[in-house]
Amino acid sequence: MTVGNGSVPAGYFGSLLDIDLSACRHARHPLPEALLRDYVGGCGLGARLLYDRAPARVDPLAPDAPLIFTFSPLVGTPLTTSAKFAVVAKSPLTGFVNDAMCSSHFAIAGKLTGHDAISLRGACDSPTVVVIDGGGARLEPAGELWGLSAAATESSLRESLGHRYRISAIGPAGERLVRYATLSHDGRHAGRGGLGAVLGAKLVKAVAVAPSQKVASAEPERVLALARELRERSFGPATAKYRELGTLGNLLAFNAISTLPTRNFQEAQFEGAPQLAAEEIAGLRERTRSSCASCTIGCEHIYATDDGSELRVEYENVFALGPLCGVADADAVLEASRRCDEYGIDTISAGGTIAFAMECVERGLLAAPWLRFGDGAALLRAVEEIGERRGLGDLLAEGSKRVAEELGGGSDSFAPHVKGLELPGYEPRTLQSMALGLAVNPRGADHNRSGAYEADMSGEHDRLEGGPPHVAAAIATENRAALVDSLILCKFLRGVFSEPVAEWAELLAAVSGWDVTPAELEQTARRIVLTKRLFNQREGWVADDDWLPDRLLAEPVKLASGRSGALPPERLRAMIDGYYEGRGLDAWGTPTPETLAAHGLSTP
Amino acid sequence: MAAAAVLLVGGRSTRMGHSKAELTWHGQSFADRIARVLLRATGGPLVVVAAPGQPLPPLPPAAQVVTDEREGRGPLEGIAAGLRALPGDAVAYVSSTDVPLLHPALVRHVITAVEADVDIAVCETESRFHPLAGAYRATVLPAVESLLEDDRLRPRELFGRVQTRVLDAEVLLADPSVSRLDPSLSSLMNLNDPADYERAHSLELPELPVETFGTLRENGRGSTSVRAATLGALARTVGITLDEHVVAALNGDQITNDGAAPLVAGDEIAFFSADGGG
Ligand code: SF4
Repeated sequence: MTVGNGSVPAGYFGSLLDIDLSACRHARHPLPEALLRDYVGGCGLGARLLYDRAPARVDPLAPDAPLIFTFSPLVGTPLTTSAKFAVVAKSPLTGFVNDAMCSSHFAIAGKLTGHDAISLRGACDSPTVVVIDGGGARLEPAGELWGLSAAATESSLRESLGHRYRISAIGPAGERLVRYATLSHDGRHAGRGGLGAVLGAKLVKAVAVAPSQKVASAEPERVLALARELRERSFGPATAKYRELGTLGNLLAFNAISTLPTRNFQEAQFEGAPQLAAEEIAGLRERTRSSCASCTIGCEHIYATDDGSELRVEYENVFALGPLCGVADADAVLEASRRCDEYGIDTISAGGTIAFAMECVERGLLAAPWLRFGDGAALLRAVEEIGERRGLGDLLAEGSKRVAEELGGGSDSFAPHVKGLELPGYEPRTLQSMALGLAVNPRGADHNRSGAYEADMSGEHDRLEGGPPHVAAAIATENRAALVDSLILCKFLRGVFSEPVAEWAELLAAVSGWDVTPAELEQTARRIVLTKRLFNQREGWVADDDWLPDRLLAEPVKLASGRSGALPPERLRAMIDGYYEGRGLDAWGTPTPETLAAHGLSTP
Repeated sequence: MAAAAVLLVGGRSTRMGHSKAELTWHGQSFADRIARVLLRATGGPLVVVAAPGQPLPPLPPAAQVVTDEREGRGPLEGIAAGLRALPGDAVAYVSSTDVPLLHPALVRHVITAVEADVDIAVCETESRFHPLAGAYRATVLPAVESLLEDDRLRPRELFGRVQTRVLDAEVLLADPSVSRLDPSLSSLMNLNDPADYERAHSLELPELPVETFGTLRENGRGSTSVRAATLGALARTVGITLDEHVVAALNGDQITNDGAAPLVAGDEIAFFSADGGG
């Protein structure tokens, strides 16, 4: 047991397990307490480790590119929603930092291997499973697992290794290096940015972990009391939407307020939304609820598909495969979502790339007459071709940015991505804090690292008139996301905190024994965001990468009120300039020496 | 051109026998309601002109309160005080406080009638000007001040000195928004005495369609219609509490959890969870 032992703070092991796949070697490296305190865990710690361990300008799919699992101080405590882990690598889709999160037992078992982080580098000669347990790390042949879905791989490995083992695996799309392939565990995906392809390039089918150590908090009684209180609060109104309908509960409301991206962002309302809405589907199909380990909210709503199999349905997969592709047929959308799960493909990038291709077909830029907006069968065919890198799918597997580069003809102006990452289901023209968050986020167009839509939807400012309040909101929500993703707690819990940063400081103090204050955590958040920017800067980021697709700046969308949702480029420029100033960056988005010094950082 | 508004609340209210600003319209003070209707219609700055020392009901935070320089000198004095507080490029709809049925569609129409060659657009019904239902360029301030200096207090004189466009009922109702949302031009119905006040209250409030989404739907029923003057009253009627977790969108546009938001004919209201996380 480790309780604040020597220089290792409680709640941590102070250890990184470094696995060299090419050399079949592993070694334990100490993680200094100062580093842990500066970056906490999860996405924050992962960003810093990636910065330190990735060779500059490495090809994300080359053996030298590391992929790092990071755990967090709260994992393993009884705090609700804390069973989460982050996976960090340079994204093959964006070429920049990518940190995706996933939930459940792998987080707990992974941490209890006795490490705060597990780094994989090098590459195997043949398909491999990495096994980490009390005996250290070993590489086993993946054999017949290669080609299976992540879920099938997981069950098979738990049968062969034993049920103590928890598995993260890639599906066939990761093996085929689809640039937005996922890594999954227990049906949940570290979904964005193509981490599955990074593992696939290393010929790693799965990572299996089994617990062999224990970890304790500095003040276990206090943690227990805080956990009880948080659990109570997690049953309140702030989480009702997630408990009762799941995230798909967004769809109809987003449609009503013109923030449901439709037909590749040509519109912001979808006439077929009612057929796809949780309110409708929930009444029509049998479903059950499920949750990640250690969660009292249980936002996962499992629907029955026609063949009797089960499917997790979330807003983002329905939005991307439904309205974004103009498809209103719920059966087709749910089936496309199931196939994405089976191949191990990020549904947002898949939907975004397919919708983009549909528009290219309409405009005569792509010769695939079968691929039409609204055609459910075409959607299913496209998903399959992507998952198998077959036919047109081989091109679409590259993501919308690369497809636009290949097709030319001005298609880059309506390719729905930022930095190569496809846009999520939040219309930037009618959610202008979010527009800024999407433009500047180091990971690309991402709603998890930048939750600025919260401010737009609170009514505290006019969501159609981006200005200084929107800038402040984008910075504040990005900071909060950096913390919650590093501690780690589920974002769906955020509404229960009235003073989030102060309450999080209290949780971290009780677990680690550090005298951490809210001011320290605010600085930690800024440091994490800056570290990601520094990584991107080293990898070739330029100021133009902080921008939105031209379509969003040139084509307003209409609201039911008659008002237009317009985001002129000069308004976005002014918001970005405000953001740079607020973050202590110079006019070109680079941290100033003073900002670096204030956060204990130095230039690449 | 920057749309703005001026709300005059300082009149004497002799016939009404009570400060009009503090009269209530279905539970909300006249001044608060009209201030919010004007803010909603213009989206720009709002100046409330009160008499010196006049007690005022709570007003929306965006309202800037100024006082009449000299009391009891009629609307021009108030118009001057209001225009003085606005930027030089403003076009301000000027309103009295006794028009509880004022509709944003009419306000918007009057403001847009101030085209490049126009200084003032003023409503007229039955050959009677409504100087407190007009839009004024801030640049007419010197003309107003010179009339005040000469003790010439009748707005009609101002209309003769600058480019004034008269908007009669026919012109107003030619605007499809106005004819749909305020077909009897109730926006111009000012209440002068207790009988007017009674009469106005006997009118039925418009019936407004309401949608609820997500977990706010009861028994799967998502649509209904309700008569209410404010968002708070409407929310109460459908059993919804507006707070940091539940918000409403008016006409698919403005999102708010402010129960004092005024509702008008043609509004469509949607309630949903404020937490858009997905
Ligand atoms: S709220 Fe949902 S995503 Fe979050 S921990 Fe619980 S089940 Fe997992």
